[in-house]
Amino acid sequence: MPDAWIYARDRELAGELARGLAELGFSPRQVSVNGTLLPGDDDGPAARRPDLVIVAAGAEEPSPDELLGRLSEHEDLCEVPLVAAVDPQHLSSALALGEAQELLVRPFAPGELAARVSRARRDVNGVAAGDVVRAGSLEVNVATYQVAIAGRPVSFTYMEYELLKFLVTHPRRVFSRESLLSAVWGYDYYGGERTVDVHVRRVRAKLGQEHAARIKTVRSVGYRFEL
Amino acid sequence: MTGDVSATSGAARRGEFVLRTVEERGVRFVRLWFVDVLGLLKSFAIPVSELEQALEQGVGIDGSSLEGAARKREQDAIARLDPATFQVLPWRPESLVARMFCDVRRPDGEPHPGDSRHALRRVLAQAAELGYVFQVGGEFFLFAESGQGGEEPRPLDAGAYFDLTPLDVGSDFSQRTIEHVEQMGIPVKASHHEVAASQHELDLHHTDALSMADALITFRLAVKEVARELGVYATFMPKPLEGAAGSGMHLHCSLFEGERNAFFADGAEGPLSAKGSAFLAGVLAHAPELCAVTNQWVNSYKRLAAGFEAPEHVAWARRGDSSLVRVPSNRPGRESAARIELRSPDPACNPYLALALVLAAGLRGLERGYQLPAEANGVPADGLRRLPQDLREATDLFDCSELAREALGDAICDSVVANKRQEWEAYRRTVTEFERSRLLGLL
Repeated sequence: MPDAWIYARDRELAGELARGLAELGFSPRQVSVNGTLLPGDDDGPAARRPDLVIVAAGAEEPSPDELLGRLSEHEDLCEVPLVAAVDPQHLSSALALGEAQELLVRPFAPGELAARVSRARRDVNGVAAGDVVRAGSLEVNVATYQVAIAGRPVSFTYMEYELLKFLVTHPRRVFSRESLLSAVWGYDYYGGERTVDVHVRRVRAKLGQEHAARIKTVRSVGYRFEL
Repeated sequence: MTGDVSATSGAARRGEFVLRTVEERGVRFVRLWFVDVLGLLKSFAIPVSELEQALEQGVGIDGSSLEGAARKREQDAIARLDPATFQVLPWRPESLVARMFCDVRRPDGEPHPGDSRHALRRVLAQAAELGYVFQVGGEFFLFAESGQGGEEPRPLDAGAYFDLTPLDVGSDFSQRTIEHVEQMGIPVKASHHEVAASQHELDLHHTDALSMADALITFRLAVKEVARELGVYATFMPKPLEGAAGSGMHLHCSLFEGERNAFFADGAEGPLSAKGSAFLAGVLAHAPELCAVTNQWVNSYKRLAAGFEAPEHVAWARRGDSSLVRVPSNRPGRESAARIELRSPDPACNPYLALALVLAAGLRGLERGYQLPAEANGVPADGLRRLPQDLREATDLFDCSELAREALGDAICDSVVANKRQEWEAYRRTVTEFERSRLLGLL
């Protein structure tokens, strides 16, 4: 289940967004707008980087400008699809709304939330939720966790699948081992960067000759997936 | 609305992955795996209808099944499924079956003191800031039949390198084994025909200690499954043929601190850093008392006794194939390659306990600053300590090993000792072919 983080002071709005996101299949959690911008201890530790961030901006502090700016500069969150939700009267005062991929103006219809979220994810990831991602004869179904090559299923363990899914949904970009660790394994994982190499090798072994080469090793940088 | 809207933990995510995959793929049974104290695979199947509850609550088992051949009375225990190890099995595709490793708990939820997997986890936790990396080369034999009638088994490609039919079986076998093993998430570094007829070796790529132990259990099963498919028999018995080399399991070990290989000697005089030297000194100092685990069968000592490059003495060297530990120096200056290769273990060991003890011995050397003895090149063998010469000697050393008791706990150590004394007693009573052929006519 994908994670969605909600930054909102207005509890009513946060609740509305959480319900809408849960219906779209997300696991929503509200995150404090202070401090590190990551879920605090009160919320339980963040298992890993979220799949979506929604900022519900209002008149309160910090200003939407400041919050959106900080989120988009945060190194762990800069690659995460960002949707801003605002009241009409704050539209003109929120200069930094451009940092978000999509904008949602209250009141919004349920269908609009789904459409904005999907567009934001497509913008950042290149694919939308529920899609089957294809690279030649390789198919990764991100809704059902299943991978097939030329129609024949290939069996992955959970972490192998998560790594492959992240790579195929973020093609053509180079990721350092460190950023893959934080995106795929989560913040609380201590296994070290060799873990990434070990799992890449396992995924390549299972993909077989035709597709293994799609996961390119970029010397002294990290890995890149070629569609 | 608060932060706990539905904070999905990692465990719940893995559970969801398992349940969804079972549904999507039409998996019919899930095999739950654990090993007994001898490292023999115990497996029981649950239907997928029971899976969700099993993931949440575990499955009740008889805890005495951990004790190997020296079982005592029944006791309640719970197998907790490790969903990170969920994997659909690539063999027998006609009925889809998956496996998951289990951790064995007591009814109160505490780890079971006889669980080998937990013993390895505990040693790893003692130095959680250090990362151990293992790479393993496992040898085994292929025979035309199991040879369980007692006669010496017939090698598949005996004496004839260019014998067409058996070679076909051999190369078919290698290819299919590599496919199966890699489909199980165990990348193979190399495979080759070993020195003895019908002997094969597969080198598994490096990974962390727990994954490697799981991989070795999986590997042994995969090899036997492929052999069965091809109508031949595979064995990890350490010394099946008196006149041929035995099967070893060479353990390559290195140690990481953060992203640095702590064994790498950057410009130092020896092949290893100060830490690497102390770790190696620990492994050497304790190797004899650990043999009851690394070489746990009566037959293991036939391999260690017979030359054929198997180690007999406690020594290390950069070159040469018969020392207990080899420190490869083939790529000086390449940090990631710095490692030690322990050559005594055989592939019929309990890999969890063997890896736990090798780590514990190395750690002891690090903690107490053991001094590494001089390299053994040219040292006459009679000046060196010997490894135990038979299972009885090994069991006595192990029984008194304070290191083993600290690392594995008394429950496992007592269980190993009980099993090994039982095996030795049975062996001691056996009248062998050796006695008959020499004495029957003479006396």
